[in-house]
This record gives sequence, C-alpha cells and structure tokens, in this order.
Amino acid sequence: MSDRKELTRRNFIQLVGGVGASLALGSFASLACADVALKTPTAGTGASFAPNVFVKVDPDGKVTVTIICPDAGQGSRTALAMLVAEELDVDWHNVAVVQAPANQAVYGRQGIGGSNTVRSMFGELRRVGATTRMMLVAAAAKNWKVDASTLKTSSGHVLSADGKKSVAYGALTAVAATMPVPTSDIVLKKPEDFKIIGKPRTRIDNPDVVTGKAQYGLDVKIPGMVYAVIARPPAFGATLKSFDDTAAKAVPGVLQVIQVPSGVAVVGSNTWAAISGRKALKIDWDMGPNTDLDSAKITAQLVAAVGPHKEMPEGAKTIEATFDFPYLSHATMEPMNAVADVHDDHCTLWSGTQQPTGAVGQVAGLLKLPQEKVTLNVTLLGGGFGRRLSNEYIIDAVNVSKAIKKPVKVVWTREDDMKHDNYRPAGHSALKGAVDASGSPVGWSHQTITAGRGGAGSYGNPDLSYNIPGAGMRQGGVRIPVPTGAWRSVEHTLQSVANECFMDELAHAAGKDPFEFRKGLLTNERLKHCLVTAAEKAGWGTPLPAGHGRGIACFEGYGSYAAHVIELSVENGQIKLHRAVCVVDCGIAVNPTGVEAQMQGACTDGLATALSAAITIRNGSVVENNWSNFLWMRLDGMPKVEVHIIPSAEAPGGMGEPGYPSVPPAVANALFAATGKRVRKFPIKLDELV
Amino acid sequence: MALYKINVNGKEKSVEAVPDMPLLWVLRDLLDLTGSKFGCGIGACGACTVLVDGVSQQSCQIPVSSLGTKKVTTIEGLSKDGKHPLQKAWIEHDVPQCGYCQAGQIMAAAALLKKNPHPTDAELDDALGLNICRCGTYQRIRDAVKAAAAGATK
Ligand code: FES
Ligand code: FES
Repeated sequence: MSDRKELTRRNFIQLVGGVGASLALGSFASLACADVALKTPTAGTGASFAPNVFVKVDPDGKVTVTIICPDAGQGSRTALAMLVAEELDVDWHNVAVVQAPANQAVYGRQGIGGSNTVRSMFGELRRVGATTRMMLVAAAAKNWKVDASTLKTSSGHVLSADGKKSVAYGALTAVAATMPVPTSDIVLKKPEDFKIIGKPRTRIDNPDVVTGKAQYGLDVKIPGMVYAVIARPPAFGATLKSFDDTAAKAVPGVLQVIQVPSGVAVVGSNTWAAISGRKALKIDWDMGPNTDLDSAKITAQLVAAVGPHKEMPEGAKTIEATFDFPYLSHATMEPMNAVADVHDDHCTLWSGTQQPTGAVGQVAGLLKLPQEKVTLNVTLLGGGFGRRLSNEYIIDAVNVSKAIKKPVKVVWTREDDMKHDNYRPAGHSALKGAVDASGSPVGWSHQTITAGRGGAGSYGNPDLSYNIPGAGMRQGGVRIPVPTGAWRSVEHTLQSVANECFMDELAHAAGKDPFEFRKGLLTNERLKHCLVTAAEKAGWGTPLPAGHGRGIACFEGYGSYAAHVIELSVENGQIKLHRAVCVVDCGIAVNPTGVEAQMQGACTDGLATALSAAITIRNGSVVENNWSNFLWMRLDGMPKVEVHIIPSAEAPGGMGEPGYPSVPPAVANALFAATGKRVRKFPIKLDELV
Repeated sequence: MALYKINVNGKEKSVEAVPDMPLLWVLRDLLDLTGSKFGCGIGACGACTVLVDGVSQQSCQIPVSSLGTKKVTTIEGLSKDGKHPLQKAWIEHDVPQCGYCQAGQIMAAAALLKKNPHPTDAELDDALGLNICRCGTYQRIRDAVKAAAAGATK
C-alpha cells in the first residue's frame, strides 16, 4: 500500500542514515524555521554524497533535498528545494524532496508562521547548495589534479576551464564525501546568474496531488490502527458530568468509549463507526458559566472598551467611523486530525502541523518521555492559515492511544473543526481623523479592541503607512471565553483593514481622489510603486459601466508590499465582483508561480471575509458548523483575479500573509464608489451600509 | 453489517459494511483509496467528489447499500498513467496549493467535460460551483479546465 511506502520515504533517519553527524555550518543560527546547529562533517552514506542534513546526491545524479518546514500549501517544499538546486547548479528535473520528521536536535526549531519560511532560509539553503557544489568541484579537482578554482559547474556537471572535460556529479559522490567542508569563501551566485530562482516552477507535489497519491494526515493508516472521534463540550466552558454509552457501544464497529481530557472519545474500527457511535452517545454536560454569551453582547463589550480619541487640531474638519469584525474560523480544507501510537517508552505520531518541534515538546511533556522518544512524521497539511500552529488534535490522539493502548487516528469532523477552532478574534475599530482646509490630513486616531481569551495586547498593533502628523494607534482587548489564535495576517485582518477603509473616508472628506490622496501620503517608495501599479493596471480613473465601482487599498508587512483594486457592481440587490487586480513587491520572487498563487489565495480569503464568512456566538457556543453556513467563495462568485509581481532584486519578503489585508478594504471602498454608502461591519451586508 | 460487491475503478471489490456507510468512508477506510477527501460530510464542499456511472457525485452522500452495480471512478482511477488532460492541465497551470480539494475539483471537471467538452464560463461555474477551494485556487481551476477543454495541454 502506498501509505507505507510514503511513510518510510518520509522517515528521514532511516533514509539518510548516519547524517546526524553532519556538516558544520555555523551560519545556520538565523534560520527561523530552524535554528540549526549542525555538527561534524560526514563521509556520506553508501555511495551517495550527503554532506549535510539538507542535501543528498546519488550516483545517478539525483538530488534529494530534505525539507524541514511543513508545507501547508504555501509551496515551501518547492521553493526551498529551488534554493538548494540553484546554488548546487543542478537541473530542476533531477531534484526530489523528502519531508523531515520533527527533530529539534538535528534541525533546530521547526515551524511555519509569520510568512517566514522562504525568506528566513533564503541565505542558508543557498549556502547549503553552494558548499555541496564546492565539495563536488574539489573532488573533480583532485581527480584531475588541477586547482579547483579553474573549474566551473553546469547542470549537475563539473567542467574543466576549457569546457573539454566534464564529469557528472553522480560520478564524484565517493570522492566528494572525503573533501573538507568549506566554511569560508562560500560564494553565492549573483541574482543575474540565477537559472532556477525567479523562474516559475510548478509545485513538486502536483503529480501526486492530481492522482490522489499525496498523503495528508487524514490519509495515514498504520497496521492495527483504529479510529476515533471525540464528543466535545457544547459550549465554551462546559464540562462533562456523565455519559451513557450503551447505545453507542451497540453501534456496529464501535470498539470502545472512553473519557479523555477534551471530551468523550468513541473508538471504532473505521471513521464512520466512530461518527455513528458518537451520534448514539448520551452525555450530560454541565453547560458552564458562558451560556449567556452571544455576539451582540461581545460587540457591546468591545464598543464599551473604546476610550476617548486623541485630540484633533483646532478648526480642522473631523470625521469618525467604526468597523465591526466577527470571529473567523480557519476552516482549513482538511479538518484537524492526527495519528498516534503511544507505548510505555516511546510514541510515534503522524500529523500535518505548523509546529512539529513544538508538538514533540508538548507530547514529551504529557507522556513524561524524553523528546528523542517522540517521533513526529510530518505529512502534507491540507491548509494551515495559522490553525495548525496549535497541536490540540495531536494531544487528542496521544490521549486516546495512551488510554486504549493501540495506534489511533483521531478525526475532527467539520463540525468539530468549526466549533472548536482558535478563532480570529472579533473586533471593533474606532477611528477619527481630521483634514485641514487644503485637504491635508492633520489628525488620525485609531483604536481597535479585540475579543479573546488573551484580553488586551493579544493581537498586535501595526503602524500606519501614511505620513500623518500625530497619528496614534491603540490596541486593546476584552477577555472573552472564546479561544482565539493567529489567522492569516493576524492583527492586520482588523487594524490594517480598518485603516484602509477609513483612509478612503478621509480622502472623501478632503475632497480628493482616494488613490491620489494615498499616493501623496505614502513614504515608502516600494509601497507607493505597488499602489501606482495597481491603479494603472486597473485603469483607475477610466470610465466604468453604470453601477460599477472601483476601490483601492494597500498594505506593507512581513517584508513585502501589496496593493489591490477591486471592481464590483450591485445588481438585483447583490454584490457582483468583476475584477481583482493584485500587485505585490516581495523582493526576489523565488518562485513566481508560487507568489502568484499566494496572492490569488489571499485575495480569495479577502473576498470571502469581506462578503460572507463569519463565526457567530450564541448561547456560549459557535453557531456555524459547516461549509453550508460558514460561507466561503466558490467558483461562481469569483471575479477575474490578476496578479502583478513587481520585479525586484531586494531580499525576499514573506508571501503567506501580505496579500490579504488590502482586499477587504478595497471591496468596501469599491462599494462606496458604486453606491455612495459606507461599510461599518464585516462581512458586508447591503442593507447595513450607511 | 453486510457484504457489498461494488465496482470501483473497473474492479469488483467486496466490502463488509453497515448499509448506511457513505461511499467516502468505504473508499478511504476499507479500500485504502484515500484520494477522495473528507471536507464536510454533508455534501457541501465537493472534496469527496467521484464519478458514479460517469456523473459527478459527492461520495459522502452515497450509502454503500445504494450503489448496486453502478460504476464508481475515483481520482485514482481517472487515468491509468496520471495523464488525463485535466491532470496534465492541473500540473501545467500549477493549480494545487495545499492540494486537498483538488481531487474533487478534477473529478467534477472530468464529469463536466465528458458531457460537455466545450463548456461556457457559466457552465463551468455551475458544474464546479459546489467545490470549495479554501486555498483560493479558483482562477487557475478556470484556466486549467479551459486549457484541457481546448486540448491545449502538452
Ligand atoms: S465531504 Fe462530501 S461534499 Fe464535502
Ligand atoms: S488547494 Fe487547498 S483547498 Fe484547494
């Protein structure tokens, strides 16, 4: 069965054998996905040449790059391999990847978040490729008895100075493994010499994805494995009083019903048996202290927490606005799940998590095992967006496996996933601004209050991109017993969205065109260039059909710059999206097709959350429970999405998040252009415009 | 529990299951065909889409007892070599992000092209309108289906 082969293939230790003793490259300390301290050089394994934990060259010339960061759909398995392949100077079609299990001792901290993966490893993985190449060159120099500095490389071959002699890397593996590891004078290619970086490479997993072979956590099956779903508390703060499992146990295929910390687990011989068993379970819950909690009350608390605005200059024209934001579920396409096989002295896990080494630490702590006794095999992630930063689904699987002494897959159904997320907090933004008689902004006060378990300060406080004298931003919070967490672009989903909506209102108060108004106030040239490009590509200022409107907005963050223009109309009482122009400057676009994909994806998120997606709280519980009521974009609602990438030689910026924050305000601003009415609440409803 | 003989990807398979077990779980848990994905379980997302006698259907909504002799095709059986025009177009247009929804998208598109080789935009939107892509690959889905329909894959 392909599962087994896949799992073995992913088992790095087996595959790369003794490379735990590996190459010393002190420079890895800056990795964000990893803080890798590699040790002494190795002679490689067998006939392959594996000078460090990241790369292996086989005698047939095949290159395998070990990917230490999870891929949640951001394309890191492709982009990271491109970095190594570029400096190693090999042909892309000879490159394969293998996913590393969690291993803090070998790789340092492994995790993905903050749009960090590619930008944090851009220098280091190129150095991995370059040092590997240098050792292959040194091997050829030794064989040919010439000075290594006279040799060149191309397409996986070392060439003599005159180009007459050529030897394939694969033929050099044994000798290369005996060469000293270069630690200085590691020369990286100049951007103008790149052959792989900056050239679109389709995702390395595509062939497996389109044939159904790609393996996600939910697809893992190991011998003897059973399946479990967990009945979870029906309200935040509810606790288990008692349960009657008689009917559940009578369901065919149900094996066991047990209490676990997160609820009552129904274990079955397959997923359907477990799900059916859970339906038959009778549980008496103590509903806890929060059954009065609902979205309206939460909003009222947020509004009450807004303080007085900063003073505006005397005599200036002032305007005020507020924006309400709902909770949002991450709703990754693959619901949470994990496989655990817990034994007295060790534990093996399979899961797609954004925090592999974090999960190992949590599980080791829970089971009181040394970390090296906990193995976590990292599968593909069916979406992340911040949801898989926490590992409670892995903890679920560990608790169930420990109790039943069998390997188990814990499956969260969509309902579990949507009602037990760590949500993007609900928030309330209050803004006040002022313009003088000439239409220049002279005051800006922004307060955003978020509702989460962390209270104040749990979500960040971004800077304003515009040069407005005395501009002030304040973030506050109220403690609400709804679990919250990072959601693609985190605080920017609230504050930066509110900023860009209000900027439009200030431009209007100043009697200025919202594009020109922004352009005149932006200080960062790269951001300004994105804004101008978006306006140009969208034909800003050119006539539109009656009833259509264009809205513009921009964003800087995560080391990248973005701008959007959305064109829409209102027809038969409905918003119709026509066109989304997305512009990004992310420095060097390592894989342009990946960058474009991130912009398309973030744009879709922006449209869905602007227009339809919301999590509502009622009776201390989440109302939405599936895709039927957590309303996402579908093909028929999508506008034409076009992405423009600004050419740049700057260091790469992040790409997971920067494409989101300017989309919802561009929608709101377009709606004003089309209807003359303003948005005060997300998701937007036409009858709530003012 | 009862024994069902079902036809999947051209082969007859015997499975022991309760009558109401959805085809999705039969495929995934009993037959180890995990290409069809679980996304909602209520027929609202399309991740589990398969062909039943050539028609696109949500396998999470089909009790195994209702299948009879109908022929089921999953992503694993769409082509022998992974070279269905849609599979090629999906790779060339680099459609997948996380990839989790894509088997369902491809199967829905395959059913469409089978009965309507040159769909209009509206027909395409309609045929794939159920299938959610949480990663937002819609633009590329459109491009890839059109390329496959136009015979424009390499
Ligand atoms: S899982 Fe069947 S439609 Fe969503
Ligand atoms: S590619 Fe991730 S859900 Fe579609």
